[in-house]
Amino acid sequence: MMILEYEAKDLLRSAGVAVPDGSVIRPGARTLQAAARRIDSYPVAVKAQVRSGGRGKQGGVTRANDAAQLRAAAKRLFATTFSDEQPAALLADPWLAIDRELYLSVTVDGAAEGYVVLYSPRGGVDIESGAPPVRYPIGVPWRFRTHELRAILEPVEKDFQVRERVISLAQRLVETAAARDCTTIEINPLARLASGELVALDAKVVYDEWGHFRNRDIAEQRAGIRRRADRLLKACLDMQHMYVRLDGDIGLISGGAGMTMAAMDMIRRYGGRPACFFDCSPGPTSTRGYRPAIAMLDADPQVKVILVSIFGGGTQMQRVATAMKENMPMRRSGKPVVFRLDGTHVDQVPGILATFGARNHDCLEDAVREAVKLARRA
Amino acid sequence: MSILLDETNRILVQGITGHMGTFFVTDARRYGTQVIAGVSPGRGGTSVDGVPVFNGVATACRETGADTAMVFVPPAAVRGATIEAIEAGCRLVVATADELPVRDAIEIRAAARAYNARFVGPNSPGLISPGKAKMGFMPSFCYRRGDVGVISRSGSLSYEACKRLTLAGIGQTTVVGIGGDPVKGTTAAEALELFHADPETRAVLYLGEIGGSEEAAVAAYAARVDAKPVAALIVGATAPPGKKMGHAAALVGSHADSHEAKTRMLKRAGVQVAAGVSDVVKSTQAALAAARN
Repeated sequence: MMILEYEAKDLLRSAGVAVPDGSVIRPGARTLQAAARRIDSYPVAVKAQVRSGGRGKQGGVTRANDAAQLRAAAKRLFATTFSDEQPAALLADPWLAIDRELYLSVTVDGAAEGYVVLYSPRGGVDIESGAPPVRYPIGVPWRFRTHELRAILEPVEKDFQVRERVISLAQRLVETAAARDCTTIEINPLARLASGELVALDAKVVYDEWGHFRNRDIAEQRAGIRRRADRLLKACLDMQHMYVRLDGDIGLISGGAGMTMAAMDMIRRYGGRPACFFDCSPGPTSTRGYRPAIAMLDADPQVKVILVSIFGGGTQMQRVATAMKENMPMRRSGKPVVFRLDGTHVDQVPGILATFGARNHDCLEDAVREAVKLARRA
Repeated sequence: MSILLDETNRILVQGITGHMGTFFVTDARRYGTQVIAGVSPGRGGTSVDGVPVFNGVATACRETGADTAMVFVPPAAVRGATIEAIEAGCRLVVATADELPVRDAIEIRAAARAYNARFVGPNSPGLISPGKAKMGFMPSFCYRRGDVGVISRSGSLSYEACKRLTLAGIGQTTVVGIGGDPVKGTTAAEALELFHADPETRAVLYLGEIGGSEEAAVAAYAARVDAKPVAALIVGATAPPGKKMGHAAALVGSHADSHEAKTRMLKRAGVQVAAGVSDVVKSTQAALAAARN
């Protein structure tokens, strides 16, 4: 769960990391006026606050030399979308004189069995085209050793003062990531000023959404995602469904991430196109979640056919079939629905589906072939 | 033989009085699994389906000789419950829960390592050694005893693949769900080592997906001179880059994470890679044929 740059910088500031003293500008004239009053020296960097990457290359960061330019930049940036995303806010940071741009991040890595620190003496927008950063695997956060990181940095960072500052910064980032449930904290660029001070000019923080029960910021981010969702998607998110919209016309309702992807891949193999990744694992006891899933696909004009493909273990199939039986009469859409249910108590499924004139496909191939055929005909 | 789990494991269930716990007790015992104790703080002295319930794991182990823990507690309680089982001396601890913060998984893994215990999970269907015992909710009819070891990042995909194997007459030694999270109790590399050491396992089927680095470990194993033949299926060819596909680790972040790159890497290492779930049987048969030569 990626948060906005100004939120990430607030988190860094609270962990004792130096960040520019910027002003947040929200849509509407009032905060813009307040920011213009607050800013006492120009130029400033005006930065669109979006979650998608590549903002700089899309013109989302601009320089304003006075209050008039700040207003013009704000008007333009609020009217622009970046990878389909409208800026939620702008951040006006003082324009700092940079001596050198560095790269520092802490992230979770399976191979390291936990956290890793990544560092490059050359940061900035083109970090991916340069030499790869050096890597310090830590694992559990309390395994961080300053002398180990020092030994890794010595060959690439010749300035010992920068090196020592980076080491103490990295340790703070690891502690923050662990204490605040961040899976990534990336500072790029980390700027070395002429004074020698290191300042986080940009920041990317990815929260682990499952830390929501012990971290109010994460709980609020989750609530924000629900607030921004429309009514139908919100009902699905409330059921813990995982939904990613794709560009096809077969609305796949599935269970389990791997099985969902396997079905998506098979749809393409048979010449069709999935309209979504939609993992609706309801857990072993509840089947209430299928209603909002079907309602959302029924309402989506891009979807021509619905394919329900579930292979359940803890999810008992007679419950799923009964849920489908209850849901079908409530639909106002006439889109065809193709079923392939398998798993625990599948023997009871054909009888239940027959009560509303549907039939169960024994294997995924038959169901996918049928869905592709119906989508073509629609 | 099998790995990690067989009819000798003496299993205690943490959270036995909950929905999942009670369902598991009935289903797992019907399969022949030795479920001999339950733990539910505050409910000690009661019983579920004839299984005695204790307040803590250490007491349960002492009183019943339990050596394996199945954990069904809410995500916020998983770290505490699993580490309690590890420190009480359980040799195998399985936690199927999803929604576990990755920071907790990191700590549990470290605790298991310090106590020389094996942790399977999180976000996993558990594991089954067909004909012997099961620790999870997998549908029993999808499995039969045999000589293929199965490793899966995804629960339902492992049911689908194993049903296909079973219908084709190909049985399994053990099916391990290593889970879809970035930090795992048992990695693909570790599961491969266990299957490698198991004399009954003649070939391995690996069920993977886009994102993460597990597949690199599978390729590294398959490239070894003494490796057992490996078949694999990687799902997510149709997943767009930069979008998380349900599992926290199923995200194409860089080119190396993509379906194409992983498939190419595995093929180069000599793995029989299935083009889709429809070809899982064919690829596994090819691996078994290689095992006979």
